[in-house]
Amino acid sequence: MLRRYRLSFVAVAFAWCLASAWALPEAVCQEVVAEAAAVPAAAKAPSLAETIDTRFGVVVGYMASVLFWEPVQAIPIPLIVLILLCGSVFFTIYFGFLNIRGFKHAIDITRGRYDNPNDPGEISHFQALTSALSATVGLGNIAGVAVAIQTGGPGAVIWMMLIGLFGMTAKFNECTLAQVYRKVHPDGTVDGGPMYYLEIGLQQRGIPFLLAKAFGLVFALFCIGGSFGGGNMFQANQATSAIRGMVGSAFGVTSGRIDWAIGAVLAFLVGLVIIGGIRRIGQVTEKIIPLMCGIYVLAGLVILAMRADQIPAAAALIVRSCVSPEAAFGGFIGVLVQGIKRAVFSNEAGVGSAAIAHAAAKTDEPVREGMVAMLGPFIDTVVICTMTALVVIVSGAYAEPAAGEGVEMTRWAFAETFSWFPIVLNISVFLFAYSTMISWSYYGEKAWQYLFGKSREAVISYRVIFLGFIILGAVASLQNVIDFSDLMILSMAFPNVIGGIILAPRVKTMLKDYWARYQSNEFTTYR
Amino acid sequence: MPLSASCVIVPIDFSEESPRAIAAALQFVDSDTHLHLIHVMPPLETMSPGFIMGNLTDDIRRQRVQEALGELAAASNASDATLAVAIGTPGLEIADYARAQAADLIVIPSHGYQGVKRLFLGSVAERVLRHAPCNVYVVRRSDAE
Repeated sequence: MLRRYRLSFVAVAFAWCLASAWALPEAVCQEVVAEAAAVPAAAKAPSLAETIDTRFGVVVGYMASVLFWEPVQAIPIPLIVLILLCGSVFFTIYFGFLNIRGFKHAIDITRGRYDNPNDPGEISHFQALTSALSATVGLGNIAGVAVAIQTGGPGAVIWMMLIGLFGMTAKFNECTLAQVYRKVHPDGTVDGGPMYYLEIGLQQRGIPFLLAKAFGLVFALFCIGGSFGGGNMFQANQATSAIRGMVGSAFGVTSGRIDWAIGAVLAFLVGLVIIGGIRRIGQVTEKIIPLMCGIYVLAGLVILAMRADQIPAAAALIVRSCVSPEAAFGGFIGVLVQGIKRAVFSNEAGVGSAAIAHAAAKTDEPVREGMVAMLGPFIDTVVICTMTALVVIVSGAYAEPAAGEGVEMTRWAFAETFSWFPIVLNISVFLFAYSTMISWSYYGEKAWQYLFGKSREAVISYRVIFLGFIILGAVASLQNVIDFSDLMILSMAFPNVIGGIILAPRVKTMLKDYWARYQSNEFTTYR
Repeated sequence: MPLSASCVIVPIDFSEESPRAIAAALQFVDSDTHLHLIHVMPPLETMSPGFIMGNLTDDIRRQRVQEALGELAAASNASDATLAVAIGTPGLEIADYARAQAADLIVIPSHGYQGVKRLFLGSVAERVLRHAPCNVYVVRRSDAE
């Protein structure tokens, strides 16, 4: 029955959200939206948004004390950053710098040279890569880079690039494993991702069922949290702030109500795809994303070409502040930690999210999909993030107090050369956020299915909760909720990197075998 | 039970237990034409890359499952069995199908998990038992715990 009425259900939910947006007294809207400038809390009873914020605060505080615990007193590196750094470096050395020696082959596979239409799976190598990229390319590349430079100085860019390069092999490992331990069902659909390879793979390595299951469960829980947080509320929040001004001035509406309306429209648009099953919208989005990426990179390159004379100085500044960083940015370690954190938020290497998408690729060679996945962090971090960083530095935005913070700083840097760019950037942020939400709803639902099964009730309840979080994210600038999102995504790396290291020998054996066959030209090519 | 049943339903999950369940069901009928093999697929994931970018639709999934059911039936001496594919929650869909077909019997394998595994993996057989409109014959796994 639900299936028959799903469109009307979305429509009713949408109408209800719009109606409630307009029915709400302006004071309530302002209160929900207000952040730091909120009405003094002591003066009145806390609102629903404030209560949620406080609750999240307790959880965030507890989780942060574990994740950001610094194991070595003398070197203030948080535990999770240490795990991610050591994991990525370990994989890169263990697989013999596959990120460099396998680069050309990875591009050949992505171009479809080895695509056999009869291989099991749902999508081609190229489609798997764009699908995974649509989840990672976005705010991390636009706002995250600015944040890294702001808090870590220009030197943080070097660390972002390096961790992007090392992250390539972390991505290789997790996506190969996702292929090895995926389940292909008779209807052609695929279940895969860290929860499966952790549970099954670890048992095969002699780890007791309960412990292996715990790895899978913990990962799935964090993944669901990440899908509601960083993959949803954070995106809805940023999309709303990007177009609030544009929409608000067009309709002459004040910010409180416009946030509800944008949230409702966003939830409706996402609902059309995830509940309505309207494939066309998803397809169009998937086509627009590469175009927006292209426009963004092109605009960046034009700016850099116009200011080519300043690039050597900018590069020198980056290197200089990386080697001898200013104390204001927390010295050497402070810069390193910022660079790593922002790089991981941007490309999600080690987090394990992309492995869920790459598991669906059509192939009978797991290593092959791992090679394709390797290109993700390269495009995301080494190309797009570095370009943003150079534009921010050559335009002088990083040292200009008027430039603002985060996405504002990037916008200012691009507008320095192209006055029309903010409009393109706002639309890009909205579309990136939209496609990230759809991709993450898939990751979250896969984790949800792992815990609660695939029944219609289970699936629909996840999707409805997901839509609810979009509206919550749009109307509330709740710092603790956003911190919670970030923590959830970082936490996914705990079981994933540790489990990934335990399972790496299996991947190495497969890689050796694959590489030998590749070098003796044993593979059939189709293009 | 004598060889008298005119409609026996065998839910198929394509596990190793499925051929054994078909073999058990064949004992209750005088001809494999009285057998109905049904597989229940989960709802399509509308946000999956396979649906959005590829060409995964319910019709294609149905067709693939029909083919797989046909192969399994042929391999299990039941090539004349009726093949059915449903979408939804397995236990409920199987019970609904049995009702619609006025089935005499449902023959279903049970994974026979105990303890933690049972808690996590659940049981379609249990659901079928609760909702079935007819008798249910549960085939225990040979290596059940």
